[in-house]
Amino acid sequence: MTGDSGPTPAERKQWEDLGYLVFEEAISGDVLARLQHAFDYWAEACKEEWLGRIAKGEAAATYYDIPNTLEKDDVFIDILDRPKYYRYIKAFAGDDAIVIGEQVRTAPVWTTSYTGWHPDVPPSHPLHIKVQVYVNDVEPGGGEFAFVPGSHRPGAGPYPRVKNLAAMPGHKRFAGKAGTAIMFNSYGWHVAMENHTETPRKSIILIYEKRTPDRVAENENRFASISHALNTPERHRLFGIS
Amino acid sequence: MPRIDAHGHVFAKVSREFPRETGGNTPADREESVEKLMTYMAASDIGQAMLVQMGGATAAHHAYVLHCLRTYPDRFLGIGLIPEDLVASPEEHMDRLTDGTGIVGFRLGLVGGPRDPFDDVDVRTFLTYRIWKHAAEKDLVLWLYVRAADAHLIAYLVDAFPQVRVVLNHLGICPGEGKGRHDQWGRPQIDIASYNPAFHTTHRLSTYENVTMKLSGHYAFSKKPYPYEDLAGWHRAALNSFGADRLMWATDFPWIYEEPGYDKLVDLVEKLTPDIMPHEYEAVMGGTARRFLRFPDLK
Repeated sequence: MTGDSGPTPAERKQWEDLGYLVFEEAISGDVLARLQHAFDYWAEACKEEWLGRIAKGEAAATYYDIPNTLEKDDVFIDILDRPKYYRYIKAFAGDDAIVIGEQVRTAPVWTTSYTGWHPDVPPSHPLHIKVQVYVNDVEPGGGEFAFVPGSHRPGAGPYPRVKNLAAMPGHKRFAGKAGTAIMFNSYGWHVAMENHTETPRKSIILIYEKRTPDRVAENENRFASISHALNTPERHRLFGIS
Repeated sequence: MPRIDAHGHVFAKVSREFPRETGGNTPADREESVEKLMTYMAASDIGQAMLVQMGGATAAHHAYVLHCLRTYPDRFLGIGLIPEDLVASPEEHMDRLTDGTGIVGFRLGLVGGPRDPFDDVDVRTFLTYRIWKHAAEKDLVLWLYVRAADAHLIAYLVDAFPQVRVVLNHLGICPGEGKGRHDQWGRPQIDIASYNPAFHTTHRLSTYENVTMKLSGHYAFSKKPYPYEDLAGWHRAALNSFGADRLMWATDFPWIYEEPGYDKLVDLVEKLTPDIMPHEYEAVMGGTARRFLRFPDLK
């Protein structure tokens, strides 16, 4: 598992070869409690709007993202640069990462998963990193995140379009306690597995990218409303605010 | 192997013999006959088609479709409707309309389960449960074009009744409340979110072997004129997730006779998925419909 001092040579090799790292207790104690409270509070507060958007065909009923979370509670900002994993993001992005956003997501129990196996971006895209943080305990068979190690590398695959998610060759599943974070290269094939428990999966997906002028230009407007919290040079840089 | 148009509508002028409800694009004196359809089909080398009832759901309203099925039994199959007041006890209506008539299933516009996706689910409480149960018992097809609020509920019934053959209409889209209007040809136009929620609801039903989808209705969803290039990604995604053996091409006649034209729709699959393999193309253009809907041999 990962430590507090940044990537060791072995961790860097795992990242480069396999495309993922796991951080147990990446968020814990008071911060985790704050996060869980804010998550549940805003999930309830925004739910009726979400149900309305489902009826209008504007949102899917199979996953629920709380909108505009960065404006709702600073804990949703604070988790973007938690040292336990953020120092790895900086290391892998050449100290030049920029945040794209976050998805504060509950996946209701359903008959299958809300998504199939997929990469997010092709390897021609600037380095794209996601950190999946579990907000509640996610058991095996509880809709856990899964990844195909090595699938992020140029020339990997092709990977079959399996209808049964469990049939994807070579995949690895990541059950975990609340506060566990799984960092992965978004070039790689990943999915939320089926949830055979009675507990919806709560997680937050933090999204980062290697800085490019286009992303910086987008972020100038995207994060203007949370300027009060972007109060250090490091955060200015992370959020791409000049 | 004949090519099959898997979805469209025919109707006669309103008469004592062929009663029907009227609407904005179906006034009493309009007719879109099966013979007119056959002319278009012949010109494009389309051998068979599915006639989907419209203009009322009572047994009497089905008179023209039943007439067409009796007259051309090797050319057409039919999909019926169920009146709202019979949804809770639909068996007799379903049996009457499918008793050797050529009607092989029913179209549904809702599922009727809990609104909140976090609620406990018991499919026996769903409004349409008895329709699904009877379809399972009688080996009938269910033809789904349900409201957006119900999109995720389909999965529970598909899961409960794996023997029911399910056809998702019109690219798996489930129209949202207040998102419909009509274009200059009187056809429905459905405003779809830029990121299509169906990718996470109906398209996920590709995991079930008893679910197929129709590549149709493009005119209603596209923001571009024919060949609706903004929907090419949806075609590719459908081909990747369902596979050609569970996809069916359809025109949604008669709404496309004038714009863009029946013959244009026949070319649509090739235009939107130019890299489709020949065997996949054959399946989408008729093979899947023939196998899944059990079209008869052409005489």
